[in-house]
Amino acid sequence: MTAISRDEIYTKLSAYIQEQFLDDSEISELKPDTPLLEWGVLNSMNTSILLTYIRTDLGVTVPPTHITGRHFYSLDTITDMVYELSLQPA
Amino acid sequence: MDAEFDIGIIGGGPAGSTAASYLAKAGLKVAVFEAETFPREHVGESLVPATTPVLIETGAMPKVEAANFPKKFGAAWTSAEDRNIDHNGFRGLTHDFRAAEILFNERDQDGVDRDYTFHVDRGKFDQILLQHAESLGAKVFHGIRIGKVDFDGEMPVLEAKIGSKSVDIPVRMVVDASGRQTRLGNQLKFKVPDPIFNQYAVHSWFDNFDRKALAVNKDQADYIFIHFLPVTDTWVWQIPITDTITSIGVVSQKKRFQEFAGDREKFFWDTVASRPELLDALKNSDQVRPFKTEGDYSYGMSQIAGDNFVLIGDAARFVDPIFSSGVSVALNSARLACKDIIAAAEAGDFKKERFGTYERKLRKGVSNWYEFIQIYYRLNILFTAFVQDDRYRLDVLKMLQGDVYDDEEPKALAAMREIVKAVEDDPTHLWHPYLGSLKAPSAKPQF
Repeated sequence: MTAISRDEIYTKLSAYIQEQFLDDSEISELKPDTPLLEWGVLNSMNTSILLTYIRTDLGVTVPPTHITGRHFYSLDTITDMVYELSLQPA
Repeated sequence: MDAEFDIGIIGGGPAGSTAASYLAKAGLKVAVFEAETFPREHVGESLVPATTPVLIETGAMPKVEAANFPKKFGAAWTSAEDRNIDHNGFRGLTHDFRAAEILFNERDQDGVDRDYTFHVDRGKFDQILLQHAESLGAKVFHGIRIGKVDFDGEMPVLEAKIGSKSVDIPVRMVVDASGRQTRLGNQLKFKVPDPIFNQYAVHSWFDNFDRKALAVNKDQADYIFIHFLPVTDTWVWQIPITDTITSIGVVSQKKRFQEFAGDREKFFWDTVASRPELLDALKNSDQVRPFKTEGDYSYGMSQIAGDNFVLIGDAARFVDPIFSSGVSVALNSARLACKDIIAAAEAGDFKKERFGTYERKLRKGVSNWYEFIQIYYRLNILFTAFVQDDRYRLDVLKMLQGDVYDDEEPKALAAMREIVKAVEDDPTHLWHPYLGSLKAPSAKPQF
């Protein structure tokens, strides 16, 4: 798999979350530090859907031990996690 | 005193009849004592593929095939959360946590030559196996209950009861296949109640139940379905018995059942009502048998073999039935025990040491299975995740196939154990709220 940049990951995740989880929400714009769990944009259920997207479209498998409030706090933290994982050998 | 039989088997269920078949084929003089008159009803209707090699070896398979039981190609699990998902518009997703399904033929299994196993009417299935043992030369006594077994003499003596009379039957060796009655386990005080699981089941058969009502993939209506309910540690089995009859059972904590003061009707209906679509499907079908209950769940034995005896099937060990392990443990414990018994008979020595291989293999297999079940109850979202993770899927499937006796610990188990610990230790883990209440010590079962 060709390396994917952090920016690219950020853009894709941002677009996906916006499109999938924010459709009829009053939150109009996602910022890098929007607290996704706190604001209810992500919950346990759609986090699992996001994980699937990360695996199938970004080619990165998030180990279940990483599914924590710290890693899923905001778009920035998710991006960091996915980027770091993408650098590790599969 | 001369032995009347080489081997006396207590109980003619799948464990006893399979042992009788193996031993009769090996030329031993075998008697099976069955207290009931077959056919009789029995719970534990869904098989796993690990039964296939055994049925082929004993020669019973053509008779089982001829009975046209529904074929079981796979298993599926649904959770109560699919409704939320539907509301959010995610119906089309194939990989999420609301459901998991697996096909047995995704993994090759030694000795398994077909893609399916069966769902069976145990009345018919058990009778086929027992008649098969009889056709191989085993002597089958119906309606005869075994009381005590006297181990004090030179050889074991079975107390066979017919009505109020009793007859002593000396044998060279005893196989206890008495099922959850645990004849020898009780007499010899080997029985160890499970420290974690104290579950209870209420079940019946329903005609014209819509098996697709809760299926995510409608082609899989003839799979076994395990439906998780939004009630702690509670699930429902859905097993096809004929084209139109479906076995439905609710498994829950015994203390919950006790809250209903033993009212099995109310317990059943109130519990399934927590999944409204399940309640609807049941209300639109016809219950064809009265509710039955199964208690006395999950136990082990401090000893499963001794001088002149072994325990097999449910008489040796009963684990929560969530992965349809019952008949498979019955058949495979019979297979493993009979290898040792036949060798012991050839050597003319039935001492405990002769059954060491059996004891070791059964304990290893069942303890893997047990830990898997334990983790499943503790965090069932994890099971769904593993089934969908290509690194672990086949390893999980191997356990679901019942292929647990020959190798070391499956790698998925170690990985699951590690994650459960991580989730337990980290309250910010997103799965933390999903932890079930059956808290197991992280050590392996001690029995």
